Amino acid sequence: MKQMVALATTLGRSALLVVAIGILVFFFLRIVPGDVVDVFSVEGDLTAAQADMMRKELGLDAPLPAQFAAWVGDLLAGEFGTSVRYQRPVGDLIVGAIPTTLVVGLGSFVFGVTLAITLAIGAALWPKSVFAVMVNVVNVWSIALPTFCVGLVGIIVFSIWLGWMPVLGNIWLPIIVIGMDIAGQLVKTLHEELKEATSSAHVRTARAKGVHPIRLIVFHLLPTAAPLALALSGIVLSGLVGGTLTMEVLFGLPGIGSLTLNGILGRDYPLIQATLLLLALAVVVLNGLTDLLHTLIDPRPAQ
Amino acid sequence: MLSVQKTGAPRMGGVRNPVVVLSAGFVIFIVVAALVGPLLIAHDPLHQNLMTRNAAPGADFWLGTDNLGRDVLARLIAGAQFTLLVGLGGALIAFVAGAGIGLSALAIGGPVPHVVFGVVDLVRVLPGLLIVLLLIASLGPGTGPVLFAVGLSFAPQFAYVSRAVWVREMQSDYVASARTLGYGRIYILSRHIAPNIAGALVTQAAIILPRCIVTESVVSFLGLGASPDAPTWGRMISDAARLAERAPHAVLAPLIALVVLTFSLSMLGDRLRVRLDPLRRASATTPLRKTMI
Repeated sequence: MKQMVALATTLGRSALLVVAIGILVFFFLRIVPGDVVDVFSVEGDLTAAQADMMRKELGLDAPLPAQFAAWVGDLLAGEFGTSVRYQRPVGDLIVGAIPTTLVVGLGSFVFGVTLAITLAIGAALWPKSVFAVMVNVVNVWSIALPTFCVGLVGIIVFSIWLGWMPVLGNIWLPIIVIGMDIAGQLVKTLHEELKEATSSAHVRTARAKGVHPIRLIVFHLLPTAAPLALALSGIVLSGLVGGTLTMEVLFGLPGIGSLTLNGILGRDYPLIQATLLLLALAVVVLNGLTDLLHTLIDPRPAQ
Repeated sequence: MLSVQKTGAPRMGGVRNPVVVLSAGFVIFIVVAALVGPLLIAHDPLHQNLMTRNAAPGADFWLGTDNLGRDVLARLIAGAQFTLLVGLGGALIAFVAGAGIGLSALAIGGPVPHVVFGVVDLVRVLPGLLIVLLLIASLGPGTGPVLFAVGLSFAPQFAYVSRAVWVREMQSDYVASARTLGYGRIYILSRHIAPNIAGALVTQAAIILPRCIVTESVVSFLGLGASPDAPTWGRMISDAARLAERAPHAVLAPLIALVVLTFSLSMLGDRLRVRLDPLRRASATTPLRKTMI
């Protein structure tokens, strides 16, 4: 019962959050004068009459509350509106961009969490091994190196100097760069926790019995480490979104990040509203999931 | 408080930790370079000379020139001024907005703190970079908006820190006696609480400073920062990246400067946290937090 209440509260908060963010995005974009028509006017020498006509067509001459109502109405009908710059439905643009972002985001997340778990388990079992050194190296790496700097150096070294891979459209380098970043944020905490786990009775008994290290890892440490890493992953979310966005732009990947940036540069309201709302929704949902996971693993704080 | 601290950064004896010393040295070096450098460098950071474009480092241009023939060293120094300004200014705005709003709400009391921190919770869920992009999208590009956007995106953290210390201090004996004596919230806040939370807030500012710098450079790198001509490190990196093949020095110089500066500042910030932060017991197992996006 208690859990149901907690779940309902989380869901309610999340829904409220998304609504609030939607309102925030809508009105923030319109605080400052200068809309997409102004951008077109500068680029294409529109006359004042042409600009007025275009505004009328786009509904930008209506008062703000009316515009907001229209937008919400469209959203409720499942319509994101039409991108002014791309001259295509925003929904289509987003659907086209999601696979890229999903591959980069999910790929780097899986790589980062796997790397963090591997290093943390290795360092916990063999404190004097290379794993222990790597835990610190990866941690300091993520503190010292912004992802866009690493990505750039990667491009210079691998694409330009060594000529191994093309720069644009490369998907492996971004995944490794963001993954390293994620691993660095998780690995230290994970290592601290696993150190305690390795000194716990069941692990000591298993080691004393001479259980094979692989068996020890799979049956005794991984069940502790994996859910813990997932629960901790809430803290890497914001880095993941930021990193994916920057990497997409750097490597010319046609994902949500590139789309958002182009929208902002062109003041394409329907596009920015949709992508920002989508990203916020994703973060809220994932945050809720990690919170839930946290309470499942360790119910103490919730009670 | 004398117990052994389990902090992320290894505690080596006293101030002699070599990493901390090197970090402090580098930060001082950058500050001095930003202040004195323009007087010593003969070249103008904005002066273009297409005859000498993409020149390798040499006697005339110590760090070479970029794709428009501008002196990389002069631009690096001008960029250092801007970078330090963004770090300090961003942290200051975050401090004023976050701690100011948080503490005022707590001082007013009643339902106000619940409402204010409800809003802070809302904002905090969004990734920092998204908040910055949204603010820049609404405020437009330029130095002021960028500074404002970066600062505001970090304000929630100050609000949380001030609330955490407030809650702890309000439970302490001396505040209880002050309340028993009949002093008001404002009096207690200014006379008792403010001096006690200064340490935590200064620490927080030190931690946020390098984050502001990196955020600004990412924003500049994405082409949304201050004006296109302004020699910021992020802008230098993004401009030179397109020609990295011909002039790798023009990318690497600002990139290395950025990485070393933010790393040094993070190390100093963490050192300060271990030293000053009265909240450290609560977060003793928290590893060195990430600076970057």
